[in-house]
Amino acid sequence: MKNDKKEKRIGLFVCHCGVNIAGVVDVEKVAQVMKDHPGVAFSTNYVYMCSDPGQQMIIDTIKEKKLDSIIVAACSPTLHEKTFQEAAKLAGLNPYQIEIANIREQDSWVHKDKERATRKAIKIIKSHVAKARLNESLEPIKVDIKKRALVIGGGISGIQAALDIADHGYQVLLVEKNPSIGGKMIQLSETFPTLDCSQCIMTPKMVEVSRHPNIKLLTYHEVESVSGFIGNFKVKIKKKPRYVFESLCNLCGECEKVCPQIAPDEFNMGLSFRKAIYMPFPQAIPGTYTLDAEHCLGLKPVRCGKCKDVCDKKAIDYDMKEEFFEEMVGSIVIATGYDLYSLQALGEYGSEKYDDVINGLEFERILSASGPTGGEVRRPSDGKVPKNVVFVQCCGSRDTEKHNPYCSKICCMYTAKHAMLYKHRVPDGHATVFYIDVRTGGKAFDEFYQRTVEEDKVLYVRGKVSKIYKEGDKLIVWGVDTLTGKKVEVEADMVVLAMAMVKAEGVDDLLKKLKVSTDIHGFLAEAHPKLRPVESLNAGFYLAGCAQGPKDIPEAVAQASAAAAKVGDLFAQKELTHSPEIVPVNTDLCSGCGICITMCPYDARSLDKERGVVQVNEVLCEGCGACAAACPSGAAQQRNQTDEQIFAMLTAMLGG
Amino acid sequence: MRLHYYPGCTLKNKTTNFDLSTREAMKRLDIELVEPDGWTCCGAEYPLTEEKIVGLAAPIRVLRQVKDEGGDILVTSCSFCYAVLKRAHKAHRDDPIKRKRVNAFLHDDIKIDRWTKEKTTGFEDYDGEVRILHILEYLRDVVGREKIRSALKRDLRGLKVAPYYGCRLLRPRDEIGLDEPDNPHIFEEFLETIGCTPVDYPFKQECCGSYLSVSLPSAATEASYRVLRSAKLEGAEAIAVSCPLCFYNMDHRQELIKEKFLDFPGLPVLFFTQLLAWGLGVERSVLGLDQHAVSPASLFRESPGPEVIL
Repeated sequence: MKNDKKEKRIGLFVCHCGVNIAGVVDVEKVAQVMKDHPGVAFSTNYVYMCSDPGQQMIIDTIKEKKLDSIIVAACSPTLHEKTFQEAAKLAGLNPYQIEIANIREQDSWVHKDKERATRKAIKIIKSHVAKARLNESLEPIKVDIKKRALVIGGGISGIQAALDIADHGYQVLLVEKNPSIGGKMIQLSETFPTLDCSQCIMTPKMVEVSRHPNIKLLTYHEVESVSGFIGNFKVKIKKKPRYVFESLCNLCGECEKVCPQIAPDEFNMGLSFRKAIYMPFPQAIPGTYTLDAEHCLGLKPVRCGKCKDVCDKKAIDYDMKEEFFEEMVGSIVIATGYDLYSLQALGEYGSEKYDDVINGLEFERILSASGPTGGEVRRPSDGKVPKNVVFVQCCGSRDTEKHNPYCSKICCMYTAKHAMLYKHRVPDGHATVFYIDVRTGGKAFDEFYQRTVEEDKVLYVRGKVSKIYKEGDKLIVWGVDTLTGKKVEVEADMVVLAMAMVKAEGVDDLLKKLKVSTDIHGFLAEAHPKLRPVESLNAGFYLAGCAQGPKDIPEAVAQASAAAAKVGDLFAQKELTHSPEIVPVNTDLCSGCGICITMCPYDARSLDKERGVVQVNEVLCEGCGACAAACPSGAAQQRNQTDEQIFAMLTAMLGG
Repeated sequence: MRLHYYPGCTLKNKTTNFDLSTREAMKRLDIELVEPDGWTCCGAEYPLTEEKIVGLAAPIRVLRQVKDEGGDILVTSCSFCYAVLKRAHKAHRDDPIKRKRVNAFLHDDIKIDRWTKEKTTGFEDYDGEVRILHILEYLRDVVGREKIRSALKRDLRGLKVAPYYGCRLLRPRDEIGLDEPDNPHIFEEFLETIGCTPVDYPFKQECCGSYLSVSLPSAATEASYRVLRSAKLEGAEAIAVSCPLCFYNMDHRQELIKEKFLDFPGLPVLFFTQLLAWGLGVERSVLGLDQHAVSPASLFRESPGPEVIL
């Protein structure tokens, strides 16, 4: 910097931005005044610098006037810095010799007085001239890409993303915390609006995952921590002890028969029981038994050990421990799914007390041929066939005061499906649906809803339910019919609540480890709600399925495929580049105090104990400058944003 | 320990048993209840109907008096007074303009010295310094379960009591904030603490009929009947209330209820403080059982065996 003795030839381009800038700032005058400023070799103004002719003018001028550096006085650098850097490159100028002086957002848009705004524009530009004189030419930092993806979550979204990435020809690690992949979709009975059997359409995909040569399936595993950056993530994965060797288990089922311990069956939403050693469901992938240590008598052969005794294949090992291992991946797809809003949150519906007030997923299990009742509609409390069923939509959704303000999107359709399937199974039964609006935006959705109402004679009542209580054998549902304005009281044998979809339980911890951002409801935040809907703001992370917000199966699958395509985009590149405007360490000045290490939000800085100085991982450094501000000795200086440059800018700004 | 206590109008007239049982019970917990000097009517809901400045003056005047006497907590056992005081306090505290106007309105109040009877106008403005607590809330949060348990003298185990919340103990949610309006627990916890078995029934927060008892008694009796019937169906031996109006609608109106619903066998209605006082060993005569239309006398019998301390 200092040894850069030769005075730079700086070119200034002042943009009118139509009237956005020129309406308030006298751009002609600015260009005129700056012409004679020391260091400025050329100065002009033009109506739209970002337009093609504007850029061409920059390119031509750089060549013609032999400029070493240029300043574009225009809008915020977040908008067009890249545009002008590319233009400079075409003219053979190092892109880090480009300065953007923001005279729009920070000047013309916030002031009215033309004379004073013009003075301010000149000051802003002068400060950038002071900085530009000291700017260094920099080369982007190049980074290798590990062409291997991690998919977190083995529901339909995770499965689809994994299959698509694997089909692109890249290796995929699919991590699922449960014993089997399948997620929520495998629990569903039939899917709207075509009434396909959910298991029938899902199991082929699950089998494909297990057979795909490019997919390494890690069920009963959890992501423990993630470090690194796009292209080079180091992922620590926890293998939970299954106590059964997957490769040895031949599914004979003898262990299950002798196991004396029972536990609520998660797959059936607790509506039935399973043994402590169990297979979640017959089509589980991988096909193996899992021993649930929490419900087992104690994993000690002295206490029980029956399952081990009957296992011919010697597949059971009580001494298995948690294991940790590390994998390198280049990108991460987050498909952690959703959970249903807790029934306890709606105290007035009494679901805490009454077995026959259930949520939609429980009703799916009751309707499912593989469910606890074999597909017959029977209520949980006493196994009777319910003759009157009330369905309540928007339980915890669209309630800005007490619950979730958003619409859970799928409940209108699945409630119509529930009511229809109920009527198919119990033709003499009565189904009543309480709704706020019926939202059927989707291909063939409204026709499906019309069929429910007209062919299957389901009664739709427009209004909310205020209270559900039990009197004798009957559940009494209090609601309102807002079309007649009357209070209604309905006797029911069973009530199905369409609970809101919320972020998956425990996902907060995981997302904290991944350091990805979420919206206020805990769903993953997309980089742009319209134009970048499957990417996280954090580079290298992609979003799929309900982890990003409530959606139905086709949308989840579409998003998963889109995320996979984005991973493909990334992996198709030879290498990645990283901004060189980082904060290195001047080891001559560094005392190794470590203050900058504590300031760094990206874990880019660490102490080199041998040399007693701080070292920087250039790729992790995002150039935020927190360390540079904190460094007491001036050893941490951000490239092209050094203390010397900042003071030069201040001096110029203050008229020095 | 001395604690500021606001009895309210009804406890001084129609339901002196509620007042007396509150005082006696608290005495057994080493708390002496003192009334703010010169307290007036809380306004009984009317100051809140349109939140006019003048209407707020009555409850704020009471709260200012507590502050003037050096108190920072005011307890009350009447749910209605509790709701009115708490809501008026909040409306006054959270709106600077309203606060200024109410304080200006009250500025010229004459202050009479308790001892010398000297008259001055030296009241300080009230800026929301006093905490308003319901006795149930005070017992839960300040006295605590352990202290009450260790002070119990009588065994109430096995007595099935249905807690009745009504409206004012819980709603409006944002202003009262005592418990979850749709799924409250504070009353059940209190009953458990003193040894009773709380009865769960679906009508514990439904309306008793409130002031309709005056303008449309038939509607009020029907509302009260539904609550009583539901509690009875779940096996309650009595209903416990914390509001004199609920008490009136459910106890005194049982005559009308029985005329209309011939199969209704009747159910005694108690103030929660009567149960507390009884549990803490207060004499039967203090409970004012003769003020009940449906006699609860059979529930308050000295157990023949030795006293059991829980």
